Amino acid sequence: MALARLLTFLGREQHSEEILRRLTPPARPARVVAVTGSAGVGKSTLIGKMLEVIRGQGESVAVLACDPQSPLSGGALLGDRFRMPTNPQDAGVLIRSLSTPGGHGAITESLGAMIRLLEAFPFDVVLIETVGAGQGDTTVRDLADVLVLLVQPETGDDLQWEKAGVLEVADVVVIHKADLPGADRVEAQVRSMLTLSQRAPAIVRVSARATEGLATLWQTIKQCPLRRLAAEPTQGLLKLAQQTLQTWFTQAQRTQSAALQAILERWERGELSASETGAAVCRFLVESSHPRS
Amino acid sequence: MTGAPPVRIVLAKVGLDGHDRGIKVVARALRDAGMEVIYAGLWQTPEAVVRTIADEDADWLGLSLLSGAHMTLVPRVLQLLREAGLAHVGVLVGGIIPEADIPRLVEMGVARVFGPGTPLDEIVHFLREHTGVADG
Ligand SMILES: Nc1nc2c(ncn2[C@@H]2O[C@H](COP(=O)(O)OP(=O)(O)O)[C@@H](O)[C@H]2O)c(=O)[nH]1
Ligand SMILES: [Mg+2]
Repeated sequence: MALARLLTFLGREQHSEEILRRLTPPARPARVVAVTGSAGVGKSTLIGKMLEVIRGQGESVAVLACDPQSPLSGGALLGDRFRMPTNPQDAGVLIRSLSTPGGHGAITESLGAMIRLLEAFPFDVVLIETVGAGQGDTTVRDLADVLVLLVQPETGDDLQWEKAGVLEVADVVVIHKADLPGADRVEAQVRSMLTLSQRAPAIVRVSARATEGLATLWQTIKQCPLRRLAAEPTQGLLKLAQQTLQTWFTQAQRTQSAALQAILERWERGELSASETGAAVCRFLVESSHPRS
Repeated sequence: MTGAPPVRIVLAKVGLDGHDRGIKVVARALRDAGMEVIYAGLWQTPEAVVRTIADEDADWLGLSLLSGAHMTLVPRVLQLLREAGLAHVGVLVGGIIPEADIPRLVEMGVARVFGPGTPLDEIVHFLREHTGVADG
């Protein structure tokens, strides 16, 4: 079945498990790059120019361009791809427009599944465009290897979010529209905010319009570690542990709720702190449910 | 979410004229009617339009033409859609099309021609009524 139709199924959460189960794991993981920032900061235009750079290096690339749904009608106007002109004969590029449910300008639930599909296809690079908002940004960060945040001159707004922590989670900060006056000032603001931060994202000045800084930006992105590789195995273990605890807990509630009741009472009387209570529950669950190994 | 998935339509302007007011008005109206509208922009070649349809897995293509080249551009798009295995995609044509050409376009496989000044509701109703039917 055509890749485009499989993406449709995943987007509608139809046959998702089956589609994912049949994928062969990619020989090489894709580089997944999320590009975020407020509406109008130039994400689509920049991605359009990046496509040329990436294709020029012989890598295949898929774009998932997310735009928010209209909260009133549920419809969406998906206007990113017209800023990404590509050669229609080139099978090494795919651009797909996605409408994201309202709320925080967040990402679609099925984005993770779509990334796995594109990676297995295989695409070397997956670019995700999302409208920035505190909540969505951290979700997309977990799905991506590299989070690129765009800011532009003369918008007070951008810097508001950075205060809310978006700047903190970015791996690369692009001072975009560097052809406009005021780029110096934004860069200085970003740098001064980052002095308070634990992390030190790379800062790159780019103008998609003047085609400046594009190669440097891609080079910088490529130097970032593939975060998903580092994070996934241990994250996966934590998830398994949580599921197991959940199962044990449900069983204990049914059969031995007296013991849980006792822990609850000690907590309520203040004899145990929150973390001691948590540890006591874990210990009890392990001891009482412990399968012979 | 609830019910049938939203209608997915690509709107594109082929040919050389640079007027996009009309197509943008249609785009907003369809969004407000709950559809997913992919705006592909101005000056699209037939090849680019068909590639967009393929990648986006759209149900419909709305082509806008003012340039008078419709009798060459529209058949070219239809031909490329068939070659790409996308014959199930419904094609609408909007813009300034002489009355005499409308039956010829329909004969070629265009689902409907909407002239300038068509009430937006009429387009919405048409799409709602015919989506899924064309898919079989
Ligand atoms: N001056 C300047 N304008 C730009 C640049 N890149 C994009 N723009 C303009 O910014 C506006 C928004 O661009 P778009 O890519 O749609 O932004 P998005 O909403 O973040 O995807 C458009 O009018 C672009 O032409 C740039 O490097 N310099
Ligand atoms: Mg955009």
